[in-house]
Amino acid sequence: MTGLMDRLIFRSLKSHLPLNAHFDITYRCNERCVHCYLDHEDHGEMTTSEVKGVLDQLRAAGTLFLTFSGGEVFLRKDFFELLAYARQLHFDLCLKTNGVLIDAVRARRLKEMGVRKVQISIYSGRPEVHDAITKLPGSFTRSIAAVRFLKQQGLQAAIACPIMPQNVADYRQVVDLAAELGVAYLLDLTITPKMDGDRAPLALREDSQSLLPILTDPVVNAKHSRSEESQPEEYSDPCYDIPCSAGHNSCYITPYGDVTACVQMPVAAGNLRRHSFQDIWYGSRELRHLRDLHDSEVPICSTCSIRKFCQRCPGLAHMEAGNAEGPYERACELAETSARLAGVAHPVSAYHLLRNSGGTAQSASVRSANGSASGVTKSRLITIASAVDLQLNRQ
Amino acid sequence: MDETRFACNPLAAWTEINGNIVLVSPEDSVLHELNPTASFIWKHAAGELTAAEVARLLTSEFEVAPEVARADAEEFLALLAQKRLLLQQPASEAVR
Repeated sequence: MTGLMDRLIFRSLKSHLPLNAHFDITYRCNERCVHCYLDHEDHGEMTTSEVKGVLDQLRAAGTLFLTFSGGEVFLRKDFFELLAYARQLHFDLCLKTNGVLIDAVRARRLKEMGVRKVQISIYSGRPEVHDAITKLPGSFTRSIAAVRFLKQQGLQAAIACPIMPQNVADYRQVVDLAAELGVAYLLDLTITPKMDGDRAPLALREDSQSLLPILTDPVVNAKHSRSEESQPEEYSDPCYDIPCSAGHNSCYITPYGDVTACVQMPVAAGNLRRHSFQDIWYGSRELRHLRDLHDSEVPICSTCSIRKFCQRCPGLAHMEAGNAEGPYERACELAETSARLAGVAHPVSAYHLLRNSGGTAQSASVRSANGSASGVTKSRLITIASAVDLQLNRQ
Repeated sequence: MDETRFACNPLAAWTEINGNIVLVSPEDSVLHELNPTASFIWKHAAGELTAAEVARLLTSEFEVAPEVARADAEEFLALLAQKRLLLQQPASEAVR
């Protein structure tokens, strides 16, 4: 018997139920992080009533897990009104914030509103490094204070740390800081192009050689490997033959009402100011196309001998190489490094083999005999490990 | 438990999936799934309810003896109250 969360994910993938929604309610921000992919100007974000209308539609569609993010969510003057409305609709609520505007009073209000988890960006254990990345003096002190306020309220807090040249040497400080604060941490190796396609942030992406200390750190990797312990039987089902859950049971909504499969897949399936969520989610050509993508049929990558080490993301493939179905350099580089570290001799991705032999990415289209999704993808689909069945016994 | 009134915990997150109610308990973030009968009760318990009212719901919908329905109702309320998915209402507010 697998866990309830596994079964819930399985059922939502099978029926394309939008179990998870990531809703950026503003792109405005009080920080100016050097690696950020957003345009912080307000180009007409949805009003309070529009956002509430979207929440009504998500509720009707069956969404359970709702993440409010941005931009900085606390810059919306109606933020607590939106939270209260989301609570009335019975969502499981999570927030992503920089925490700068969270004081003791706001932390208590979040607790009272039943927010389950708050993720705060922390870039280093050194204030000067963190503040240089956010370009907001004093932000480190305020963000750390926010974590403590949340903990005092008994809220789940977590710190997220995108890795770049400015802070790669500090990753262990972040791990230690998380332990000191008593919170979970996420070291994020993903730096993406801006949503408008500007690739400037990619200059801040560390190469795999520079990431070796993290990739080989036993503490960090012990933490990551735990999520891959169980492999439920349902993973043999065709519904798991997908790159990831985006567009299958997860969606992303921009402050302007665009619906996409994921924050890293900036291809709008429709706009909520013109169409209903139901029509977009079940009827859009873009999402139906994404759902037709199967890991076992992806050209090139499905034939790759080191695919189990790969964290290929269709959104990043689209942004970096212009094709959600294709390979991209970053995924291959990290997969080869991971394979090497796992003891594979001379690992070379299928894409690199093809390129080295003079072929092109478009020339190969081979179906793989092995249709199962990678372990990495599976672990990404699992967001809550503990689950309990509640049964009403009737004789 | 006779006339004790219970109400859904307003901080509980829940949705309906394939006819069953799935809940996240606010106290410990544990995921729960109600079986079809319990889901039926949850969906009909928009306000407050007592064991007698739950039993009436069960006997009106299912072929079940009143005493069995009552026992199941009490078990249901006790279990969900224990998990803080239902909250016992103060006597002064026990007016429907």
